[in-house]
Amino acid sequence: MSDGTAGSAAQHDPQKQFDLSQRRLTTRQGIDTEELTGRTFPYQFDPGLVEDIDLLAATPGDDLNWLEDIHLMEEDGIPAVFDRYTNAFLKIHFDIPSGREDEFARKVLIKHLQEGNSYGIWLKHQHAKFPQPELGPWLEGSATVGENWTPPTVERWDKTFTF
Amino acid sequence: MVAMNPPTDQETRGRNDIRGLAEPDAEAPKVARVEGGTATFDAADLSPRLVNLELRRLIYAEGIREVRIENPGAKHSIAVGLLARCRITINGSLGYFGATLGDGPEIHITGRVGWSVAENMMSGVVVIDKNAGSLTGAAMRGGDLVVRGHVGARTGIDQKGGTIVVGGNAGSMTGFMMQRGRQIICGDVGPGMGDSMYDGEIYVGGTVAALGVDCIEAEMTPEDEELLDRKLGIYRIDRPDTFRKFVCGKQLYNYDNLEPSERKLVL
Repeated sequence: MSDGTAGSAAQHDPQKQFDLSQRRLTTRQGIDTEELTGRTFPYQFDPGLVEDIDLLAATPGDDLNWLEDIHLMEEDGIPAVFDRYTNAFLKIHFDIPSGREDEFARKVLIKHLQEGNSYGIWLKHQHAKFPQPELGPWLEGSATVGENWTPPTVERWDKTFTF
Repeated sequence: MVAMNPPTDQETRGRNDIRGLAEPDAEAPKVARVEGGTATFDAADLSPRLVNLELRRLIYAEGIREVRIENPGAKHSIAVGLLARCRITINGSLGYFGATLGDGPEIHITGRVGWSVAENMMSGVVVIDKNAGSLTGAAMRGGDLVVRGHVGARTGIDQKGGTIVVGGNAGSMTGFMMQRGRQIICGDVGPGMGDSMYDGEIYVGGTVAALGVDCIEAEMTPEDEELLDRKLGIYRIDRPDTFRKFVCGKQLYNYDNLEPSERKLVL
């Protein structure tokens, strides 16, 4: 477990930590990461960008913890890892060394989460009801979201009713 | 037809706010004592809401990563919904739904727990030194849940990932509707084990009273032995001489025939 610096959490402005203007929320009902986010990410194409990720340091406990359930899978005939926070597959377009399939799937997923690119997590800015760290257990000192939640309103909805 | 005034917000909500939150105006009591990076507070006179507010204040706002709670008094719903890496020691017992909905925390409970401990855990570690009630690890998605004593019925019901380790015996319907993940039961298991399970593995060191529908025994592999050695080693639980492995017979369900969106629900 990383030793957090006291006072580091909840101090960051999400607008400064990540460029939120680069995030667009979809109005479609697609189920793939690329369709939901409208883009791809460099680490889907370059193994060098994920090679150094320390999976043990990135997970609680003395082994891989939740990553034990993460395996390299396939979507549309392309290797992919499942992002449970978005309920979508993230495709991996580089050649994965034989025998290291699960390792690279896990590293790509952790990179995706640590860089704040999981679409389901983007939704926290709009829908989180309680104050919480945006990137939870993956990034020390991540922004706080959910502090200013307001109930959604439906256009032309009138609360007055009669019996 | 009689026109009625709409209910006031207070009438609609009762004690809860629109989010369903009890004691919506409560604030963290700020009673913890911090020494050497570890915070300690006494929960004896605090409501569950205040205990959880204090935990969130320490972990989210103050960045404290080690917290100790004294006198938990078997309160319900303590240490829930924590989404950060931290270590929490609860010195005593909890009621129902303790340590649930966590993503990251490592929680050690020195006493017993009631129903549904670590329900819906996403990641992290929960260790209970004594016994746990029914529905232990219900709908758990990931992480390790360790009960050094015995557990009640329906352990890991609807489990979708992670590992449940039980040092003692497990009750009836263990692994009911289990969909993924692993259970390691060192003692005996009651009737109906693995009933209607879809996937996952249940390892049993003792006897099984009776298997549930579509649960069958499978051969142990070197990977299974490695898992058992590793998990029992990490949590320092004595390993029984032999284990038997049980899985889904897949006579009732086959994911390959499901629509893609349904398949994702269990990943």
